[in-house]
Amino acid sequence: MQWLEIAVSIPPEDVEAVCNFFVEFDTGGVAVDDPAFISAYMDLPPDAVVPGALTAPEMPVVRAYLPVDGRLEERLARLRQTLTALWPVAARGLKTRLLDEQDWANAWRAYYKPVPVGRSLVVKPSWEEYRVDPGRHVIELDPGMAFGCGTHPTTVMCLELLEETVASGETVIDVGTGSGILAVAAALLGAGRVTAVDNDPVAVAAARENIIRNGVQGIVTAKQGDLLAGEWEPAGLVAANIVADVIIRLAPAAAMLLKPGGLFIVSGIIRDREAQVRWALAAAGLSVSRERRGGEWVALAAGRV
Amino acid sequence: MAKRVAAVIKLQVPAGKATPAPPVGPALGQHGVNIMAFVKEYNERTAAQAGLIIPVEITVYEDRSFTFVCKTPPAAVLLKKAAGIETASGEPNKKKVAKVPLSKVREIAETKMQDLNATTVEAAMRMVQGTARSMGIEVVEG
Repeated sequence: MQWLEIAVSIPPEDVEAVCNFFVEFDTGGVAVDDPAFISAYMDLPPDAVVPGALTAPEMPVVRAYLPVDGRLEERLARLRQTLTALWPVAARGLKTRLLDEQDWANAWRAYYKPVPVGRSLVVKPSWEEYRVDPGRHVIELDPGMAFGCGTHPTTVMCLELLEETVASGETVIDVGTGSGILAVAAALLGAGRVTAVDNDPVAVAAARENIIRNGVQGIVTAKQGDLLAGEWEPAGLVAANIVADVIIRLAPAAAMLLKPGGLFIVSGIIRDREAQVRWALAAAGLSVSRERRGGEWVALAAGRV
Repeated sequence: MAKRVAAVIKLQVPAGKATPAPPVGPALGQHGVNIMAFVKEYNERTAAQAGLIIPVEITVYEDRSFTFVCKTPPAAVLLKKAAGIETASGEPNKKKVAKVPLSKVREIAETKMQDLNATTVEAAMRMVQGTARSMGIEVVEG
């Protein structure tokens, strides 16, 4: 997919109004190169900033993006016309540039390196070389555009809780699987059967690729679905690394599916919401037995009372 | 040693509804940041303000980890709220779409002073008044 970047230089006092103009034009937001903001960092001592990494433009630059589609020409003409009426100088200096999604979507790969997690796991980008450590299970991963690359604290904490709790031959359900990382980890840790569910087809496709990449297709099945709707088979573990609101909604259904002694592992909970999640778990008849904290995030494991 | 800063980014995106599409994708992607990780975290932190545009300042470190600070809504958004309008005027010089009292402008200036890099409330007020003017919002005594 291609996008047209529209950049305008604008005096500081007009930045807010120009940003508003682009937002009202349905660009989904703006990026601002603000010299005052950037300069504040450039003035920091050299051990705080990578030398030469930051450059500030003379005047603020506001960037907005339009998708390259059948409406582009008409939208761009209308945008130029309104901009010319409001800020003629900025409109004359308007610059456009074509961007391909590939230009930015994969840049992070260069910085994504194998990460050991817990005592027995390593998350390894599929394109990276890694000397196998015999004590660890290697999760080969290409998250693509799905969430879950193994470096975010919410994922790390979930992996650690899985490592502590997956019993051999266990039935596991991973709700909101994203890249499939937790489902693959559960299989490598000895689970007998794993169901990985996501409502996003992009995630399901990424999860399927990662399942095959790790050779656990005999154990893990990825499917598109709405949380636990349609699941009826009792599970020893239900894992959900999503966000507080969804976990709160999910708690009663998860509690129903858990076998006696089973655990509901939840992550993606921002600290402010922890109390609400704990309340929802308790209301569903689940009692928290393990917890992990990392940065602003909390992960919990709760069992049937 | 603390991690060194490799990039700083300023965006305005819808609270709770950021996506990996532009402007988020190119702004973060070009610096090697994991876009989905930011999107998830931003949406969760701003979920309560859904419906508003929230400015966010992102600091990217050498190892491509990041931190970010969410700001108060842009002055333009606060002005529209104070004026009770949905959109700014397309011809601000000719067509005024609303009025806001000076006291409201002062209130917005006080809220946004730090984000606007203004040293005094008066300087911030002049900026907010300028924004109002280019949106076709008339500032009146009161």
